[in-house]
Amino acid sequence: MSELTIAMPKGRIFEEAYVLLQKAGFQLPDDFEESRKLIVEAPGENIRFILAKPMDVPVYVEHGVADIGIAGKDVLLEQKRSVHELLDLKISQCYIATAGLPNTVMNEIAPRVATKYPEIASAFYKEKGEQVEIIGLNGSIELAPMIGLADRIVDIVSSGRTLKENGLVEYERIVDVTSRLIANPVSYRLKSERIRDMVKRLKESME
Amino acid sequence: MTPIRKFEKPLGMRDSFPLINEKKERIRDIGRQFFQTRGFDFIKTPTVEYYETVGKASAIADSSLFKLVDRQGETLVLRPDMTTPIVRVATSKLLKEQIPLRLAYFANVFRAQENEGGRPAEFEQMGVELIGDSSVFADAEMIITASDFFQELGIGEYHLTVGHAGLLQSILTQLTQSKEQVKELRTLLVEKNMVGFEEAVKSYGSAKEEEHRFIEFIEHASNVPTIESLRPFIDESDKQQVNMFTYLSDLSVLLENAGLSKLVTYDLTLTSEMSYYTGMLFEVFASGSGFAIGNGGRYDGLLHEFNCNVGATGFGLRVDRLLEVMTTSTAREPHALLFFDEANYLKAVNAANEKRKQGIRTTIQYVNGVEDRQAYQENFTEVVWLTEGDGNNE
Repeated sequence: MSELTIAMPKGRIFEEAYVLLQKAGFQLPDDFEESRKLIVEAPGENIRFILAKPMDVPVYVEHGVADIGIAGKDVLLEQKRSVHELLDLKISQCYIATAGLPNTVMNEIAPRVATKYPEIASAFYKEKGEQVEIIGLNGSIELAPMIGLADRIVDIVSSGRTLKENGLVEYERIVDVTSRLIANPVSYRLKSERIRDMVKRLKESME
Repeated sequence: MTPIRKFEKPLGMRDSFPLINEKKERIRDIGRQFFQTRGFDFIKTPTVEYYETVGKASAIADSSLFKLVDRQGETLVLRPDMTTPIVRVATSKLLKEQIPLRLAYFANVFRAQENEGGRPAEFEQMGVELIGDSSVFADAEMIITASDFFQELGIGEYHLTVGHAGLLQSILTQLTQSKEQVKELRTLLVEKNMVGFEEAVKSYGSAKEEEHRFIEFIEHASNVPTIESLRPFIDESDKQQVNMFTYLSDLSVLLENAGLSKLVTYDLTLTSEMSYYTGMLFEVFASGSGFAIGNGGRYDGLLHEFNCNVGATGFGLRVDRLLEVMTTSTAREPHALLFFDEANYLKAVNAANEKRKQGIRTTIQYVNGVEDRQAYQENFTEVVWLTEGDGNNE
């Protein structure tokens, strides 16, 4: 049985996905404590986990250093990497939306949108037939409309609490996001049996 | 933008240092011998082509083309693939002399990078084209040739996936209600976005039963155990579809007889952004590279663009990815070094010629032209001192 390398995002998604794998019958140790290790082995199943930043998971998978990975649909939409999207794990559900200060309209001359997702944001506004200026930020996107950097933001919303606490309202819902199981195209062929088996078992355990 | 420093190359461009270059040349040598023995003639085409002809006909995205403008104001491109230029030559000239044609190439092609490393913007491709033969035997020859070539290169673990663009298109058309739906589903299959595919099918709002049948088809089609098992999805009243099915089934028999059944899997959902693939298409993978090493297929559609109605099939392999999966021999080839001084120059030239006649690679070097002799000697398997004194000339 060939070794399978799985790229996982650190933190909450990892924990949820780990439980999913256990439910699907994979023999993984229960005490998978949060250490600072970046590579963790599960010798019983001949699986190796590499723990990465969520945004980086598709990079590892695309280059084939990880056979499969778990990545948010938001990251997949933003980066458009050539990986196979095999299964919707239906964990970490949230959505991407536009938001801004209540009762405001966009600046007519130079509407500005701040976001962590420049690709998704620009595709969304193009589709609507609006040309906007995108300002890329790395975090605390909610700040942008509050201090006048942008008219709107495009960001992930899970409960909506962060928006509310910062006095922002949601305007348009762009797309629903969940975590997906992705695979490298070559691994998908060469380790086809193992990967198919995993997809099948995960699918069954989710039903 | 930081200013460009002296040592920088344009984005995605790579130097081939001697060791790598040797390896590439070896692949080229093996390939030349191999493909020639199989009746293919090697051909070269210009590095630069017109955008209007080759640039547009090639299936490589416009944004990946290197474009230039010539003195007449015409847009030129650095060739992004070799199949299109070869089709240009074949349809304009070679096919009038001989048909079918078997052509081979080893050439560098150019594809612009947007902003990320890990992918070269210029790389060598090696491949063959068989133009003017529409039979299943031509397609089988391509797949078998590709497989045999991998054997020849000594690549142990490799795998071929075979699909059929026409058959997929036909079945998708049957299962959907509009051309837009077919297009959407095809795009999702190119990306192998199975989640998106299921979502799309569900959004069409057809009856539960049909929906189920559709998803069942895709699951089955992506890993076909035997071609025969596809039969339930074939509409017997659609003659064209039945023909394509029979074709694929014939192909599988030919491949099986060639001993390839363990190396080949069939995936009817295999599609390519290369929209000119009309029939059989295939990809080659090997462990050691995260990307497909090569692909090929029947591209009658491309010939139509050049106003020619004959069939064509072929494949291309990426030499840079072949390098990744080939084992390197660590054994050093014999390479002699002759150190000489003023008095012994002639002697060194003669001695070197003797050695070269025996087939030993030999370098002669003026001893005082080298500062660190110890380090320099390390590069050779044998050192001969032709200097006055005891041979440890200091």
